[in-house]
Amino acid sequence: MNAVEIFNLTVLFQTRDGPVKAVDGLTLNVPVGHVVGFLGPNGAGKTTTIHVLLGFMRPTSGAAKVLGSDVREAAARRRIGYLAEHPDTYRFLTGRELLTATGRLFDLKGPDLSRRVDSLLERVGLSAAADRRISTYSRGMMQRVCLAQTLVNDPEIVILDEPTSGLDPIGRMDIRSLMSDLRRQGKTVFFSSHELSEVEMVCDRLAIMAKGRLVAEGPVEELVPRGERLEEYFMRMVMPK
Amino acid sequence: MKKIARILTLAKIVLRGQIRRKDIYVVFMLLGAVVVLIASSDILGLSSVVTYVLETGLLAAWIFGWILGIYSAARELPQEETRGTIFSLLAKPVTRGEIVVGKWLGCWCSVAAAVALFYALVVALVLERGGFISPFVLFQAFALHAGALAVMTSLAVALSTRMNQDAAATLAYIVTGASFLLVPRIPEFVFREAGLRSNLFLFLYHALPHFEVLDMRTRVTFGFGPAPLWAFAASLAYAAILTIFFLAVATWLYERKRFSRSELAVL
Repeated sequence: MNAVEIFNLTVLFQTRDGPVKAVDGLTLNVPVGHVVGFLGPNGAGKTTTIHVLLGFMRPTSGAAKVLGSDVREAAARRRIGYLAEHPDTYRFLTGRELLTATGRLFDLKGPDLSRRVDSLLERVGLSAAADRRISTYSRGMMQRVCLAQTLVNDPEIVILDEPTSGLDPIGRMDIRSLMSDLRRQGKTVFFSSHELSEVEMVCDRLAIMAKGRLVAEGPVEELVPRGERLEEYFMRMVMPK
Repeated sequence: MKKIARILTLAKIVLRGQIRRKDIYVVFMLLGAVVVLIASSDILGLSSVVTYVLETGLLAAWIFGWILGIYSAARELPQEETRGTIFSLLAKPVTRGEIVVGKWLGCWCSVAAAVALFYALVVALVLERGGFISPFVLFQAFALHAGALAVMTSLAVALSTRMNQDAAATLAYIVTGASFLLVPRIPEFVFREAGLRSNLFLFLYHALPHFEVLDMRTRVTFGFGPAPLWAFAASLAYAAILTIFFLAVATWLYERKRFSRSELAVL
């Protein structure tokens, strides 16, 4: 079964110089239980694809499904966790208030919700700062509370858009370890990144985009030839010949 | 029930934000200081001062609610976009309609609560001066005022679905300000003018909200007693219908909005 199914997806943006294809006929399947790195240079169409996948915008043509459902239906989003690129949140709330409110949006309540919030705060190392306003958090703490928010509903698939961008090495390591944990739990992780070394460490599958088109897709060990580093392979795939 | 719980959760987030931001206190203290200053003057004799305190106090309460209601309601949705938090919110199992209603409800509740405090301040000043206000008349005045705030905030939310915060707030101030100042006088203009102008005034008369039916300041200030119950209920129903209409428009517009990291239009 596939966690993500994208079929012949095309997204055209209108610019002053005419229409630009942000995504061009993308077809991609992400199997359940895998950690998939979604790679590509800036402007490759990664975030646009993720935004279509989550129903933030409608594609010009084609279709995208997550766990077999159209995510434009609110109920289908119950099984998804999403962390945006450069995440920000309601800074006037405390970490605990944010996670509790998020849980309520997923119809969680009572002692179950409290336990879930406590365990998530502990998991992301924010138990001591749980009752402090988020406006007092560092960049790394903010990223971690947003990540905890992503996991409140115990999602089956986690979609992360550049989860390590702007983080220090410790923050990056935390995110990597969390992704490994999710894989051990049998969850699907679909994440976009520029950090090839990280992708190499945590992913078992890759999808590489360039100029809106999918240029490579499959298990890491099948795609990247022996003796070649992922970085070299990536450059070979995305650089014009 | 779950739908209502989600709307209440969103409203609670807005309420917490309003309470923890400073702007609400600044406006309250500034207008409150003006009212207290007026109340402390005793140049017109005691009875005149009570009337004067009521008149200026209730006017200040309306200005306070108007400024704060539109400002805060026009801010909520655009701020979600500028902060980027809208993407995280849209990825949760909430509909865009629930987001619109939750945001509006939070703004309306916070502004209505702040206006209630302002009423309490005015009543305290009147009582301190030896004056009296019928609690039932005061309740009617506040309930209708809250109805007017519901209309103003829902209009601002509707405008903010397609405009940035400044544009939505400015347009909402213009529409509501014009409604306050112009609408009660339009019948005069209709009779005075002829042809196209008269029709234009008639169109404005029917298109703009009639805040005068929700304004009981004169009745409270000059002790005219409570409004007839049928008129009170009809005025509240009028405010409810307008609010629902603006929220329905806001939901319709927001559901069709394409959210993209870039400001480019999707073809």
